[in-house]
Amino acid sequence: MNPNASVTGAAPGGARPLLTRRTLALLLLGGAAGTTATFALRTAVTGSEGRAPTAAGGAAAAAFDETYLGRRIVGAAVPGSEVDGTPAWRVTVDGRRLHLMRRADGTYMSMVDHYATYPTALAATRAAVEEIGHQALRARI
Amino acid sequence: MAAKTVRQNQRTLTKAQKRRFVDAVLTLKRQGRYDEFVRTHIEFYLGDGEGRTRVAHMAPSFLPWHRKFLLEFERALQRVDPGVSVPYWDWTVDRTPAVSLWANDFLGGNGRRSDHQVTTGPFARRHGHWDITESVTDGDFLMRDFGRPDHDPTGLPSKAELAEAMRETVYDTDPWNSLSPGGFRNKLEGWSAERGARVWYNHNRVHRWVSGHMLGAGSVNDPVFWLHHAFVDLCWSRWRAHHPKAEPYLPLREPPIGDPQHDKVVPANDTLPPWDTPVHDLLDHGDLYRYA
Repeated sequence: MNPNASVTGAAPGGARPLLTRRTLALLLLGGAAGTTATFALRTAVTGSEGRAPTAAGGAAAAAFDETYLGRRIVGAAVPGSEVDGTPAWRVTVDGRRLHLMRRADGTYMSMVDHYATYPTALAATRAAVEEIGHQALRARI
Repeated sequence: MAAKTVRQNQRTLTKAQKRRFVDAVLTLKRQGRYDEFVRTHIEFYLGDGEGRTRVAHMAPSFLPWHRKFLLEFERALQRVDPGVSVPYWDWTVDRTPAVSLWANDFLGGNGRRSDHQVTTGPFARRHGHWDITESVTDGDFLMRDFGRPDHDPTGLPSKAELAEAMRETVYDTDPWNSLSPGGFRNKLEGWSAERGARVWYNHNRVHRWVSGHMLGAGSVNDPVFWLHHAFVDLCWSRWRAHHPKAEPYLPLREPPIGDPQHDKVVPANDTLPPWDTPVHDLLDHGDLYRYA
């Protein structure tokens, strides 16, 4: 089972995320075996490292659910969406969709920042949060 | 036929010319036309890792697409005031927040530190003529953050940086995207061909230096977008003059089946959406406008 699949299936589209960190961790632990899951869990929960555990933009980059600068950021790769090995991500900031785009080198950019790219979806999301300050994302974009 | 449009360096505009340009822009905004341009640009921004056909960015047609986009905007302005054209901002010369471009009688100044809100000039929210509605964030005011002092300090591109792009002897190179190792288009658009490298040049760096709305999908919300792209367009024109023997546009034909860029880019013999304009019709602008 792909742990990302479970997370994506439950990824919030509205204002209130369905997953807590605890259930995310349980899903990850239950869904994948051994060190990969542990690594994914650590990245997801502590969010201490902006780079993916695999190659840039790697398909195995862990889903995340963390509070960054006071904003709840949740993201997971979309199963089956890979282009040249790079998956699309579904990301929300405080429950509102943040659209990410992929660059040909496997990096990501966000609607907030179109003229630079970031090594992972998490890094692109954090940079977007830094940029928007106290504003909210518009619901419809 | 009307006299050919002349696009001037913004620093040479008279007070009256600035006022007429600003008034025409504000009229388009009031009519709802301006926000159509904002939406078009948002709609056509597509990363080159998405596996889809891209026309406006990270692609050979970056330059003709924006040329046509500017022409459409300029025509809209001229329907309001036939005497107006899009000025250009040479960012290798006018490089500080103190230049007349950012004065109260033209585009207004930098955003304030707290929320990057532009509070001076005709596009300040408080004057009631410039509400932002097509944007990523919910603020209804124009934002700028010159040089990004709190995030990642950014300078405007230098003459030397632009000259490096101008020295390129071909228009574009395979793989026709943001990783093209050579070619004028990618150097001017401003992506590094090195995978994962976090450095930006020329066109991209100007968007980053102005920052605020210019940083993201809603960049057209800042009227400086047009002055920036008019200079980018002028650079393309100059490049052609410096390299008269070079093909003005590449690729000439669709990359073959099996090539990763097959069906992903617009070749010279094709047309550009959303206008269905042949690329060939956009390679020379001499019949439409000239730069002074």
